[in-house]
Amino acid sequence: MIEALFEGLLLVLQWKPLVFMLAGIALGFWVGLLPGLGGATTLALMLPFVYAMQPVEAFAFLLGMHAVVATTGDITSVLFGVPGEATSAAVILDGHAMAKKGEAGRALGAALASSLVGAIVGAFALAVAIPMVRPLVLTFGSPELFMLAIVGIAFIASLSAPGPRGMMRGFLAGGFGLLCATVGQDPQAGIARYTFDTLYLWGGLDLVPVLVGVFAIPEIIDLAVRRGSIAGALPDGRISKGALEGVKDTFRHFWLTIRCSLIGTFIGIMPGMGGSVAQWMAYGHAAQSARNAEERKGFGAGDVRGVLGPGAANNSKEGGSLIPTIAFGVPGSTAMAILLGGFFLLGLVPGPDMLTKHLPVTFSMVWTIVIANIVTVLVCFLFLNQLARLTAVRGAVLIPAILVLVFIGSYTSNNHYGDILITLVFGAIGFLMVMGGWPRAPFVLGMVLGKIAENYLYISVARYEAAWLTRPVVLVLAAIAVAVILYPLLQRRKAVHA
Amino acid sequence: MKFLVLLLAALAPATVLAQYYAGKTVTIIVGYKTGGGYDATARVLARHLPKHIPGKPTVIVQNMPGANSIIAANHVYAVARPDGLTIATFNRNLPIAQLIKVDGVKYDMTKFAWIGSAASECTVLAIRTDLPYNTFEELRKSKQQIVIGATGPGANTYDFPLLLKEFLGVNLKIVSGYQSSADIMLAIERKEVDGRAGSFTSVRPFIDRKLVKPLLRARATEPGVENLPIDEDLAPTPRAKAIMALRSAPEVVGRPYVMHPDTSPEHLRIMRQAFAAAIKDAELVAESKKAKMDLEFVDGDFAVKVMKEVLSQPKDVVDEFSKYVKFGE
Repeated sequence: MIEALFEGLLLVLQWKPLVFMLAGIALGFWVGLLPGLGGATTLALMLPFVYAMQPVEAFAFLLGMHAVVATTGDITSVLFGVPGEATSAAVILDGHAMAKKGEAGRALGAALASSLVGAIVGAFALAVAIPMVRPLVLTFGSPELFMLAIVGIAFIASLSAPGPRGMMRGFLAGGFGLLCATVGQDPQAGIARYTFDTLYLWGGLDLVPVLVGVFAIPEIIDLAVRRGSIAGALPDGRISKGALEGVKDTFRHFWLTIRCSLIGTFIGIMPGMGGSVAQWMAYGHAAQSARNAEERKGFGAGDVRGVLGPGAANNSKEGGSLIPTIAFGVPGSTAMAILLGGFFLLGLVPGPDMLTKHLPVTFSMVWTIVIANIVTVLVCFLFLNQLARLTAVRGAVLIPAILVLVFIGSYTSNNHYGDILITLVFGAIGFLMVMGGWPRAPFVLGMVLGKIAENYLYISVARYEAAWLTRPVVLVLAAIAVAVILYPLLQRRKAVHA
Repeated sequence: MKFLVLLLAALAPATVLAQYYAGKTVTIIVGYKTGGGYDATARVLARHLPKHIPGKPTVIVQNMPGANSIIAANHVYAVARPDGLTIATFNRNLPIAQLIKVDGVKYDMTKFAWIGSAASECTVLAIRTDLPYNTFEELRKSKQQIVIGATGPGANTYDFPLLLKEFLGVNLKIVSGYQSSADIMLAIERKEVDGRAGSFTSVRPFIDRKLVKPLLRARATEPGVENLPIDEDLAPTPRAKAIMALRSAPEVVGRPYVMHPDTSPEHLRIMRQAFAAAIKDAELVAESKKAKMDLEFVDGDFAVKVMKEVLSQPKDVVDEFSKYVKFGE
């Protein structure tokens, strides 16, 4: 076991895999920064290049690229409020709010440092979990996955504003998200739902155009109306300091970062939960760490913990999502599905053998994720202050560039003008939500989890009828969901009594 | 002199065509996003086609996903120019969408300029190896219910077992809603379901790993499953046989490649030759073998025949067929 761990490290540290990894990192860096151009697409495009490589080299290349995408995606989210990837949208809420307060450097520092911690914790969690990973994954059947989605939806409680009114708005926004997830052809009867007789909507609403609309458009309008720059009228000097402050924040809230990393790893291991879920669950958990109503209000307005949570989960989930791919040949995401294609190309057979006979190769992949993150974070820190200075650029100069990124980004999801329309429609919805004081996070959470919840509920009932309700893990998860909903209420009562 | 003229005349089209494609870009439009089987096949072809087209044009892949690739088919049928530079590859079940008159279908499958198909996709039924049934007959006779995992109506994971249940009297319970065929495989592993139907390509790694065993297949065949019994052969009535045949007919044309209906016969001929040669290309064969995809060229004329066969069914067969089979995936 320990031997395999080191053997894996040595495999990656040979000069050829290392060079390929650096090439992958350089590529992934840009892919992550640019919204829309997703990690999965890039993996598909790069796959032909691995034919001539050895397995360890090929995975160093592919995974190095993939691991970095999530990290640099956070940068775009923080600076411009435009999700660089579908998996880095949660960082916007507090990260971009910080940028607007002139703390872009601190937010970026926090995002990168927590990413790094996330990647390392995720890797270690995996190393520890490998002996029990197969039983763990096999314990989570459709009923358990459904309940996991419910736990995720329950986090809406802590993502909403306090008070009955705030809760109500949160759950309504979440309900709207769930509704949006039902658009498209349903998988049970094949009926087209809410497609308005357009072919475009058959496949359902794509996450990227919706996220870009809901988050980026209101920010752009805000920037245009305020005039000035993203960071407002703050003196130039204040912007550049703070990257180090962000790193310190990571250690100030170290346990939160660790817990969110573990959430990320766990969601990553669960096949079928998808990459976007982890960051929102982690954000929900981070929001729970607010000790009183005053602190709670700070979330969404630039609390650094709102950056640390999703930042950590985003990278720790990568290691986790390798597991179903490697151990069962069942990919947890599109990117992993493409990676699975890479396995075949290289003559590796995913399955139980990868956790025993080929364990060093498996560990070399985990190491690749860790090393790629370390390299990226170090490189990023070199330019961090220059990047942060972008928030001091005049809006009139910045807006056209951001708009181009926004629309190209959403258009790449289907190469269809419908993508642009969806961005505009959800941009309007997002703008109205911001104006009216409705929280956007529950909406996104509902949308991300809607399809998962619906499908697994249907399967659970079709397969087990009512018997699934009494499965032990289902009961435990139900208790957790109730606790997640009640927690903010209890917290409030405690605050009142104190 | 006369001989020279004749010679020139004979050579002319080839040189003209070489000039035609030289420096140009041929686009293969894929009706799905990056990452799936249709996309992977197109990308392998795009790498090796240029060698086999006179003038060695650049070949690129463009993804046009949406509506289970109806959007891509409509585009190449009506919008793309018939200049021999745009090729489409899409859902093999598009003739079914046309047959059962799905809203939004603007193409006529029989009118495309058919290059052909790059592979045939065989659907198999596979069940867990620890179940006591070794042949389909044993399963059928046992009358015990087994649970089949599926993605949704319109996919072979759903339609194939549905017809088996309706016509061959196997006691199957079909549970649909899994997000991908890989998710069903995991459900099999944790014994949530007992088996699944799916393309042999996607099931094969799990057969090799001895997680499942194949019991039955549809008409289209591939190396490795030739000896399995075929669903149609077990059909109790001609009507049942016709419906099963109709479901599996498009699978013979598993990876369709077409161009605009008005494409000139010269351009079509060039592309057919190029595809046939590329699929035999030693480098391509080596690559596709590594990637575990079996490519085999099926000529365009044969594809048109299959399309006509599917679309010329009597109304009563179509009516009954559409009771069971929806269009999807």
